[in-house]
Amino acid sequence: MSDQQPFSVDIGKLRTATKPEPTAQFVQTSDVAGERLGFVNRAPKGRGGRKPSPRTGQVHAKTLPHVAEEISAEAKRRGVVQGVLIEEAWALYCRQNGLESGGEAP
Amino acid sequence: MPVIVIASPKGGAGKSTTAILLATELALAGARTVLFDCDPNRSVSIWAGRQALPKNIEFVNDVGESEIIRTIKQHDTDGKIVIVDLEGVASRLVSRAISQADLVITPMRGTTLDATIGARALALVAEEEEALGRKIRHAVVFTMTRAIRSNQHKGIESSLKGQGVDVIDPPLMERAAYSALFEFGGNLRNLPPQGNMDGAITNAVEFARAVYQRLAEPVEAAA
Repeated sequence: MSDQQPFSVDIGKLRTATKPEPTAQFVQTSDVAGERLGFVNRAPKGRGGRKPSPRTGQVHAKTLPHVAEEISAEAKRRGVVQGVLIEEAWALYCRQNGLESGGEAP
Repeated sequence: MPVIVIASPKGGAGKSTTAILLATELALAGARTVLFDCDPNRSVSIWAGRQALPKNIEFVNDVGESEIIRTIKQHDTDGKIVIVDLEGVASRLVSRAISQADLVITPMRGTTLDATIGARALALVAEEEEALGRKIRHAVVFTMTRAIRSNQHKGIESSLKGQGVDVIDPPLMERAAYSALFEFGGNLRNLPPQGNMDGAITNAVEFARAVYQRLAEPVEAAA
């Protein structure tokens, strides 16, 4: 193993440039300079799949199309939202598997 | 305090290895360093997750283009050296990080392909200097070099120097210890022996010292 000691950094000797405040104009100037050379926006455009409901923020479960149609039809027939059927299905699942929650409200 | 940005749009050029070696050696030399992982491949995160971070090193990851400038500013405080490892693509994240840099290091292997694509980073620095109206120091470090350099490598190095590009001496050699950092984490001093450890440590120390000397030069000298 090397017995070479690392050199010592004198933090007081380090120089740094004065950088302007990153205003919107500063950022735009930097972006335009980059875009001229092909350094463009490559940030992910967000997750795919179904978007959360704007009303409740919930993400609905994806199911096979025929299952979705059957759930939809049953919810319409009973006059409830599909979430009620999912709650009931979850309660049934919990009972069958000995889980504590049972879908009961806290 | 200085912000060092490791940038090349070429993948596999050695950016993450360069960033980790620099951070760990500067930390051993007594500097508090903050290491940013801005690469979706998360190479530095893999290193950071192997074991506790070495003394004097903070780690920041998951920084996207919308937060990069603000996050660099947050950590660019007295007594700290910020090192930003970027993704190997030409993106706005790269140009925004460079806008905050005191020193841009472009790692490249001694091949025509690396030099051709790496040159885009140098062009971007020049473009930003002009657009932002300030000098941004930049340098190239050759990576994964062998003791005997190929004619191609010699030609590229000579061409870069001829164009006034600052080439860091020493280059980073191809060492088993450098790739082992991603397997074991930590720094070169606490790795299980990997090949020529003395050579690896000496090379990394001399490289970090060469970078430190650039950081200690007056800013005007870079102009």
